[in-house]
This record gives sequence, structure tokens and C-alpha cells, in this order.
Amino acid sequence: MSGPRRAPSVLCMVTEDSSGKTVVRLDGVRREYGETTALDGVTLEIRAGEAVAVMGPSGCGKSTLLNMIAGLDRPTAGTVLVHGEDVGRLSEKGLALYRRRRIGMIFQFFNLVDDLSALDNVALAAQLTGTPARPARRRAMELFEELGIADRANAHPAVLSGGERQRVAVARALMNRPALLLADEPTGALDSRAGEQVMDLLLDLNQIGQTLVLVTHDEHLARRCAGRLVTLADGRVTGQHTLEPSA
Amino acid sequence: MRAVWRAARAAVRRRRLQTLVIALVTLTSTGAIVVALGLVDAASAPFDKAFGEQRGPHVVAAFDRSVASDAQLARAARDPGVEAVEGPFPRATVALPRDTAQYGVFGEVTIVGRAEPGGEVDRLDLWAGRWATAPGEVVLNRQSDWTADDLGKRIPVPSGPTLTIVGFAFDLSRTADAWVAPSQIDALHPAATQLLLRFSDASSDTLLRERMGAVTARLPQGALAGSESYLTLKHRIGAAARAYAPYLSAFGILGIVVSVLIVANVVSGAVISGFRHIGILKALGFTPGQVLAVYLVMVTAPAVLGCAAGVFAGNLLAAPFLRFTFTGPDAGVFHDSVGIPPWVNVLALLGMPAVCVLAALAPSLRARRLSAARAISAGTAPRTGRAPGVQRRLAGSRLPRSVSLGVGLPFARPGRSALTVAAVVLGVTTVTFASGLATTMTRFGNAGRDAYQVTVYASTVRHGKLVEPEHSDPELHSLLSSLPGAAGVTARGDVEVTVAGSARKAMLEGRRGDGPELDSVLTEGRWTRRAGEVVAGTAWLRQSGLRVGDEVRLQKGGRSREVTVVGAFMETNGELLATDWATFTALAPEEKPIAYHVKLRDGTDPAAYARAAAAADPGVGPAITGPNTITQTVVGSASALTAMLAVVASLGVFNTVVLNTRDRRRDLGMLKSIGMTPRQVTVMMTTSMAALGALGSVLGVPLGIWGYRQVVPRMVDAVDITLPPYMTDVWHPAALTALALTGIAIAVLGAYLPARRAARLTIAQVLHNE
Ligand SMILES: Nc1ncnc2c1ncn2[C@@H]1O[C@H](COP(=O)(O)OP(=O)(O)OP(=O)(O)O)[C@@H](O)[C@H]1O
Ligand SMILES: [Mg+2]
Repeated sequence: MSGPRRAPSVLCMVTEDSSGKTVVRLDGVRREYGETTALDGVTLEIRAGEAVAVMGPSGCGKSTLLNMIAGLDRPTAGTVLVHGEDVGRLSEKGLALYRRRRIGMIFQFFNLVDDLSALDNVALAAQLTGTPARPARRRAMELFEELGIADRANAHPAVLSGGERQRVAVARALMNRPALLLADEPTGALDSRAGEQVMDLLLDLNQIGQTLVLVTHDEHLARRCAGRLVTLADGRVTGQHTLEPSA
Repeated sequence: MRAVWRAARAAVRRRRLQTLVIALVTLTSTGAIVVALGLVDAASAPFDKAFGEQRGPHVVAAFDRSVASDAQLARAARDPGVEAVEGPFPRATVALPRDTAQYGVFGEVTIVGRAEPGGEVDRLDLWAGRWATAPGEVVLNRQSDWTADDLGKRIPVPSGPTLTIVGFAFDLSRTADAWVAPSQIDALHPAATQLLLRFSDASSDTLLRERMGAVTARLPQGALAGSESYLTLKHRIGAAARAYAPYLSAFGILGIVVSVLIVANVVSGAVISGFRHIGILKALGFTPGQVLAVYLVMVTAPAVLGCAAGVFAGNLLAAPFLRFTFTGPDAGVFHDSVGIPPWVNVLALLGMPAVCVLAALAPSLRARRLSAARAISAGTAPRTGRAPGVQRRLAGSRLPRSVSLGVGLPFARPGRSALTVAAVVLGVTTVTFASGLATTMTRFGNAGRDAYQVTVYASTVRHGKLVEPEHSDPELHSLLSSLPGAAGVTARGDVEVTVAGSARKAMLEGRRGDGPELDSVLTEGRWTRRAGEVVAGTAWLRQSGLRVGDEVRLQKGGRSREVTVVGAFMETNGELLATDWATFTALAPEEKPIAYHVKLRDGTDPAAYARAAAAADPGVGPAITGPNTITQTVVGSASALTAMLAVVASLGVFNTVVLNTRDRRRDLGMLKSIGMTPRQVTVMMTTSMAALGALGSVLGVPLGIWGYRQVVPRMVDAVDITLPPYMTDVWHPAALTALALTGIAIAVLGAYLPARRAARLTIAQVLHNE
């Protein structure tokens, strides 16, 4: 009922990247936190329009991997190239601009700004790129309508349900039409029905050309949304499989 | 219980900064309270305290030895009105040679034969050496801030024995300049007998006179040779300190109020910022009572430590501080009697932690009642309110988004923001008030300071004898004017007059010469221009219910003169009137000036002038008007107190802002994850706190001024003076702006440091940690 079934117009990406071109290239990426090695020489490529699922046991470095791609963290060694840009070498400000323009991110625990209304949370992302408040709100509202949460636009995150919050987070991630959508266990904090809705949303997005990297513990979700599965263990890539699109 | 302890310890460890700030704030404010209370205590009744401790005599009476015998005196002192008595002590007056001046005694010196320094009345403070017990020994009356290195020196009494100094004792009541053993006194030919009396009721001079009358009625006619009431002494000694007492008390009370409020603010802020954590503890299975315990321990442990350290620091600080405040020619006698009384320490040690617990209790109790889920969101979720509307309008404004976001943030958490604003208001109010007060005190202290530098008395004492000037009054006046360096000479005489139709007496000063205003500060009206005009001290005007413009008839002997009060000058002495020389001599034709006040040209050495004056006429006694020490010290202490309060207030603001900013670390991480630059994050947080700081300053400055206007007039009223406008117009727009900006600056700094640190953290780190 509320989740979108077909690719709706406002979600439509301007997919400047022709399909098949490499968007992300990780080369021998290591990340150490003191004693722990979260990533231990990860080499990986992601092409435009792909949907890649990353799976593995808890603590194997999935979130760390995503953070590397998002420019939320820097590798201890190795390079992360996104659109040919070495993310690890960008200045803090450069990283911020990079995230604004290229990345949309969805977290397991939503990470919305509690002090802002749902709508403002989303509009904020566009305003950071210089979009004036009015058009930013308009676009945010359109996204809300498409995601079926228009009636919750003025509510604050604290009073939203988990599913609603995650849809707000998705809207925020999509606001700037990112080249790359990164989702870290987007259904992890949701019940199966709400999870299902978010899953559908991601699937639809990918079908209209959105490049997607998805970290999940949920095999079903991976099979449903992703075309490729990368498995991690102890900070290393242990396998890559192409997935048959399920039902 | 172990779980509580562990959770509290972990919480303290995770909040090192907060713990440190709580400890610091409680430390400084407890220290301030200890000093402030000590000051209030010392300033409230410095003389009464010292006098009470020595059980000083209400009346020191001297009797003629040839008229009344010791037995008669002892019997007379058994009057029911007499509470306690010491004596009779034989009293001798001897003239000591000039060279004994090095021991602080020369000229006409009173020596009393007394067996011991203690007793029922007049317990002397024997602070060095021992009491004189054998012939040839003497104890000198000396304040303990002198040195005792004259012990063992010898004083030759002309036509008498040579006395060796064996001890120094201090006697506030100055019943003698020196004491010897009773076995020695006869050799000094005592002419009088001294009785030291305490009465059960000694509240007024009239009462004392009555009581003395009852005592002397039992003695032969003419036995009483003279008596001095402690009220005179009290007036003389306490005058300077008394004028400042209300200011010091105001500072003390202000310090207490501010410290308590700031501690309450900081502590409750700490609890509120922990709401989310509280929710998590509850989710873990902590009972509400345990949660409460965790929070109380977490906040009160550093607070109690801070209080204890503060009491210690306060005592350390207060000793030199009080000594510093009560130093000087008049206040020196309080030197030993002021200190931190035990009740202050007890109160601070028990009271401040109690304040902390109470401050922590209110929000902790609220947290206890919250459900786990609500508590988790309570620290973060705006409940209701107009916040979205305000934020919406701001978001639509033309301001950079990071700025409009920052300005909007405080509206999202009104409780937290209110606390921050309260801290700033409190700080700014305090500093406004305190700096105003300090400025007033400084101007009050400096009033009339440059009026003259040398006072030449029209008599002097040499070899124990009064010497008169060789020149006549007019000759002396022009002689002093002609000496090198003199810029102006003003002669001053005084005479006691009565006011027709009233029992009040007045001391009328006649002033003649270049600057008849001397160091008097006009508060109203003008100075005299012609004969028949007087200028009255504010205290005299108030106490006699008169106003500027009124006419009174002054009487002296058989003469009387109608005068108009044309002005008022700042004066706590309730008897003082000043007039021109013509009016003065019209009432008292025989009176001559008692002193000439000389204003010197810039750069003239007062000591050189004084030497020149003494050389020109050996019969005059020039004295250099040194800087007024008590004024200097009190003004200094006002500045020190202002600075101390400013530190406490700044710490309070800083802490609140730091906590507020740290609370938002996770938000900052999120904002960065969607592409905010570190600079934007910093700008946002800083703007948000600057907005609160500005609001606080805008409220705090007028509040401080209002407080000043409420307190200062009442304070000066209490000592019967009126301050001239220049002493109370203490604020200038520039200074106030600077003050407001300081409030904002502290808020900004408190936000800037943690915001910049948070902005620099890797986002992964922040989000991972939360
Ligand atoms: N900011 C950090 N500081 C210290 N250690 C970290 C940090 N982030 C991750 N780690 C450590 O790196 C390792 C990998 O963590 P990561 O979060 O990437 O795991 P994950 O695969 O996402 O696990 P999960 O499935 O539980 O989310 C873990 O051992 C973790 O403790
Ligand atoms: Mg993870």
C-alpha cells in the first residue's frame, strides 16, 4: 500500500554514468584501530548501476568498508578511488563536498538530527549544496510523498516509528541525487514489514539506475536487492558471487 | 549497589571534562563563599568582635589618688550596674625622652602598675615576651603587626628607674602605653588610679554617664579625674572600616548567591545532559532508585571533592585577603581578630554539597520517573513548542544555512537553552553589578584624595611638652604659602556649637584660604560663597532632619548666628558642619586654626616641604598625608572579589556551553556525514551559543544595573551618606558593550573548543562511539 511498486519519477536519477563504468575502486585498503585491524587489504570494484550486497559476521569490517567509500573515515593504507578521485587524500572540506555531491548514506540507526523536523532533516541536505530553502523543501516534500510519509513531514524524528525514520533517512540520502547510495543494515532496526518496504524502495531505486552498496546480515534482502554479493571475514574479502534476481 | 558504583564510576570516567568542570566550579565557588562569608562576618562588627574578645572596658576611669583611696574605689565599683571591674591600678604619667620614639613610646606616656594581663576586664593580648613581674621590667602596648625585636632594650625614665622591655601586649582600649609590675609603679610616682569597668547595659553614652554617676556618687567630691567611654573609641577606630562594611557585605552576599546559583546550574545541567544515558541504564535493568543513585554519585562525588578543596582554598586565600583588607592605621587593630570563623567552614562544608545534591536531585527525580524509552529520547527529543516554526522561518532566511541552523538549535531544546541563558545572565549580571560596585568604591575611596598633601598642625609636642608656633596665624598662613612648592594653603579651625531649638551638638569647621572645600565631596548644592552660609555633612543633615536650603541658628557661648545650609558633603560623622572663616569667627572670635592644609605643586616632594615648614617655625607639626591604606586595600579587595566572581561566573557559562556542545557531538557527526564541512559544523555550534550568549547578555546587563540601583543607595543610606552622582554613574555604554561582548565571547569560546574538536573527529569515530 504505501511502498512504491514501480519506479516513480521523482526518484529518477540523472544517471550520467553509463552503465558498466567503474565508480568505486578499492585497492589494498587497510584500516587499523589501535590493536584491531578492521580491514585487512580489501580490493574491490563497483560499477555504475550495480547493486552490491556486503555480508559477513559481526565485526568483520562491513561498516568500516562502507565508511571508507563514504569518506567518513580514511584508510590506514591502500587507496579508495571514487569517480577517479582518491578519497583518502581529500581535505576535510574536500571530503564534505564529496559527500554532499556524490554520496547518499543510510544507517542502521537512522542518524537523523533530532532537533529538526523530518522535512528539515531532508531539506538540509539540499541546502548544504546551496539550494535555497523553498525548492529544497519542495523536493523533500515530493520525496516524502513518493515514500509515503508526507503526513509525517513536520514531525520530529523522536516521535516517528523506526520504519518512518528509515524512510526519512532514505529521502535524505536521495535528496542530492547521489551517484552512490550506501546503506548500512538499513533494515536492521526495523520489523519485517517495515524492512520489506525499505527493501522495495531500494530495489526500485536500483532498477532506475541507482548504484547501491548494501551492508546486511539478511540473506533474503541481499538476494532480493543485489546483483552481486561480496562476503567479508576478518577484514578480508573471502568471496564474490553474482546473484540471480529472486522472484 | 556494586552495579550502581560501577556505573557511576564508568560515567565519571566517560565524562572527564564534565567531572573536572563540576569539581572546578564547586571549588572556586566554595572558595568564594568562604572568603565572602569571612568578609561579611569580619565587616559586620569588626570593632565589637575585637572589643568583645578582649572584654574591653566600657569605661576607663581615672581617679585622683589623693582624694579616693583604693579601698573606697573597690567599694564604689560594687554598684549593681557594674558587671565586672578590674583595678584599681595605680597610673603614672611620665615624660620619656625623644630617643625612645624608636620603641613607639615617647613624650607623655601613661604607665600602669598591673599584676597580670588577663582578668575579668581588658584581657590584653600578650603576643611577645612575658608579663612584667619584677621591678625594672616593662611591657609595651604595641600591635602585633609590628616586630618584637625590641625585647630586652632599655628605656631610661628621667628622674626614675631604667626599665627593660620584657614583653609586648596589645590593648585595643589603650588603657595604658606601658605596664609595669605593681612593685615597680611607686617609683614612677603615680598620681592617679585607674578603674576598668564593664556595665551590664552599655548601649549609649547617656546610659554610661548615668552608670558612672552612680559609681562616683559613693566617692568623695572631685575623685573622678577623667573617663573615656568605649563608644568614643569605637567611633574613632571603626570610622573607616564602617564606611566600607556595607560594600564588603554586599560583595559577600553577592558571592554566596552567585556561587549557589552557578553550582545548581552546572549540576542540574550535568544531570539533564545525561538523560539518554539514564534511559540506557534503565533499559539495562537498573531500577529507578539505582539510576537516581548513579546520577547522584556521578555528580556529587566531584562536587563534594570540589567543595572540600574549596573550603581549604578559601581558608588559605582568606587569611592574607582579610589581613590585606583590614590593614592600615585604623583597621590594623583588627588584624588578629579577623579570620575565618569556624561556622563559615562548617556551613560551606555542609551547605555546598547539600546545594549540589539538591540541584542534582530535582532533575534526577524527573529522570527516575521517565520510562526508559522516553528517557532515551528525552535528552534529544523536543517535546512540543514553537520550535519548528522558528526553525522553519530561519531555514527560509537568507542567512548561511550553518548560521540559521545554529540560531535555530536552541529552540529545539528549550530546557537546555534556558539553563545556558540562565548561566550567562547570572554571569553577566554578577559582573555588571560587581564592577559597578567596585567602581563606586574606588571613586568613594579616591574622593578628595588630591586636595592636599601636607597638613601642618599649629602646635607640636617636643620633649613631652606642647610647643606653640613662633608666628601668628596670619603670618603662618602666608609663610606656608611662600615656601617652595606650595600651590595653596587652607587653614582649618573647629569649634563645638549647638543648634538653637535642638539638643544636637555640631562640630563647626571654619575654613579659610585657597581651597575651602578641602577633601569634602559635595553631594548636593554648592560650597559657601559669603558669610552666613554653611555646608553640612550628609549624616548631620539626615540625623537632624534638615535639608539643603534650610536655615538654622548656631550658638556658641553667648553668641549666635543665623546660617543657611547651601550644600551637603559626603560625611559619615554625624556632627560635622563647615563654613567660611568670617562666620566661624563671628561665633568664636578667639579660635585659631588648628591646622593648615597645603596643596603642593605637581612634582614637589611632600617630605621636603614638611622639613622646610618645620625649619621655618619649630612650633608647627607638619604631617604628610600618605595614601589612605584602608581605602587602597578595600578598593583592592573589591577588585579581587570582582575578579573572583567573574572567574566563577565564566566557569559556569563555559561549563554549560561545553556540555551543551558535547551533547550534540552525535548530531555533528550526522551533519558531517551528509556533507557539512568541519568549518560549517563549528560555525553552527558557535552561532548557536553566541545567540544564547547574546540573549543572556542583553538580559544580564540591565539586571545587573537594576540590582546595583536597588542595593547601593540602601547600603549608603545605612551609613547616613549620600553619594554624589559621579560615584554612582559608573557605567558607560562602551564598558557595558564590552561586558556584554565578554559574555558572548565566553559562550563562543566554550562552544568553539569542543565544537572544533568534535568537527575534527572522524565521523566514523563519533557515530561509532555513540
Ligand atoms: N571507530 C572505531 N574505533 C575503534 N574500533 C573500531 C571502530 N570502528 C570499528 N572498529 C572495530 O573494527 C572492527 C570492525 O568493525 P565494523 O563496525 O566495521 O564491523 P561490522 O562488520 O560492521 O560489524 P557489525 O555487523 O556488527 O556491524 C570491529 O572489531 C570494531 O570493534
Ligand atoms: Mg556494522
